[in-house]
Amino acid sequence: MKSLDRLPTDWDGHVALVHDSERQRRVGVADWVGRGLDLGARVLYIEPEDAPPERSLLGVLEEHALRVDEALAEGRLEIFAADDQVYSPTWQEGVVDESLAVGYSSVWWSGEERTAWSVMSPARHTEIEWETDLLCDSRPMSVMCQYSGHLPQATLETVCAVHGSGVRDSQLRAVPTPDGLALAGSADAANHRLLRSTLVARAATVAAAGGRLTVDVGELEFLDVAGARALWTGTTAHRMRGGTVRLTRPPPRVDRMLRLLGVHEAQGFEMEDAHE
Amino acid sequence: MSEAVPIVNGRYSHDLLLHDSDEELVAGTALFVEQGLESGGHVLVHSTEARVAMLREVLGTDPRLEYGLDQDLYLSPSSTLFAYQRQLAESPRPTELWATGTVPLGVDVAGHPAWGRYEPLVNAVLGPYAFHGLCSYDTQVLPERTIAAAKAAHPHGGTGDQRTASPEYRHPADFLSDPLAGVPDPPSSAPAARMTIPGVPHLGSARDLVRRVCLLSSAVARDTVDDFVAAVNEVVVNGLHHGSAPVSLSLWADPVRLTCLVSDLGPGIADRLAGYRYPGADGPKGLWVARQLCEEIFVGNLPGGGCDALVIAK
Repeated sequence: MKSLDRLPTDWDGHVALVHDSERQRRVGVADWVGRGLDLGARVLYIEPEDAPPERSLLGVLEEHALRVDEALAEGRLEIFAADDQVYSPTWQEGVVDESLAVGYSSVWWSGEERTAWSVMSPARHTEIEWETDLLCDSRPMSVMCQYSGHLPQATLETVCAVHGSGVRDSQLRAVPTPDGLALAGSADAANHRLLRSTLVARAATVAAAGGRLTVDVGELEFLDVAGARALWTGTTAHRMRGGTVRLTRPPPRVDRMLRLLGVHEAQGFEMEDAHE
Repeated sequence: MSEAVPIVNGRYSHDLLLHDSDEELVAGTALFVEQGLESGGHVLVHSTEARVAMLREVLGTDPRLEYGLDQDLYLSPSSTLFAYQRQLAESPRPTELWATGTVPLGVDVAGHPAWGRYEPLVNAVLGPYAFHGLCSYDTQVLPERTIAAAKAAHPHGGTGDQRTASPEYRHPADFLSDPLAGVPDPPSSAPAARMTIPGVPHLGSARDLVRRVCLLSSAVARDTVDDFVAAVNEVVVNGLHHGSAPVSLSLWADPVRLTCLVSDLGPGIADRLAGYRYPGADGPKGLWVARQLCEEIFVGNLPGGGCDALVIAK
């Protein structure tokens, strides 16, 4: 279980960065690389061999005035061309263990979904994502997989399911907890599909464990009608199966929106009183 | 002289009781309360403390007769309107509600137009329910313009065998276009902030801007600012989804009043009363929620095409 207290600086584990636009992706990547290098991690990045300068990692870092010449020369930052080998879990495990053996505190790894899909099928990539989840559980790692928020709903649900440390976009973070999910930031018309997907994915896993999905909304700063609807539609199947959804620690603003929409009284929902 | 028409139980009615004496007020109210209790419905008599005391003395008590004070029930037009709507729409059993009293009209004449607009909106919002309203207006003290607005807002006037269809009655949407409604224009001063919102990914920064400017430039309570920001957010989302991007936003933040004009380039809106009626489980809820989060939202069409919405909070 990851603690939200450490967010947003906490990038531990296997996380998906879901972006709405190339601009959002570039901001997210530059931020992540900067943090990794600051923390003394070894930062590894996969991109297509022929990545155009404006999409390449070095292009992104230059745009954000992040100077990495030294890190590249010392091997603290390394860029791999996408091929079968760099996606092999065995090979990745070897690189991580070597890095840790020479004294790096952790290993940070990132790449785009489209890069992976250029050298393998999405189905094979999903299998690798599951294995990456296990790798991250056993090693000090931050693996940030970049996905477009415009992917089909079913694909987004899979993305949410395979990232054991959660998903985030520029304003919302959703982190799995033992009995459900913790949300932080803003849920609105811009990211309601992501919220819905993460709820569907999480509800499927808790269904077997007693049927109650706890959604901690204590760190949710803003919720609009589209976001509230995602709380509803993302749990419809779960509630239809007889499962319940418990909304805990609602801040007053979130409480107000949920009550205006009647979510607190809806079938299958339980809601704690507002928390100041 | 028009023919007298009785109130039909189980349907909607909204009547005007003009009076120039307490006797007229008491007599008209008594007839209404009597029919309400006979119908098996729940009756509410609301007014100022003094008037409620006077009416209670004459009308007495009944398990289904409730007295309420305007200071509790009529805080603002939108909160009163949506509280009635919720009571009727979300009641587990069919409820017939009879409400009579003096619409408070605000602390001074400046507040009259907002409560004047409340009256026709009652028809739009509560029309589908078994709701009966009898609104009393004192012709001795109220200005002519306020009485004229009341006549245009109530489909019927008078009580008992004096109850007739009102020739001055206007459809709620038409009422809002009439100068009587006193629909405000955007402030003539330069806005404190302007922004163009090309799509939903920019909603968060639009909210940040509106909130920051409101907190910086106005003395309006923080909760009111947060509600206003949430209302503007919904109106912008509406513009992006039902109108056409980009949506533009102009914001004025005075010490006691927040105003935001949101315009889009879409085909315009056919129904100025969108977002007032109860949306039901699957209906669109954005504008309906937005209307409950602020004082008033005026939706209209722009002369050159497109749609605008003026969102006001105080």
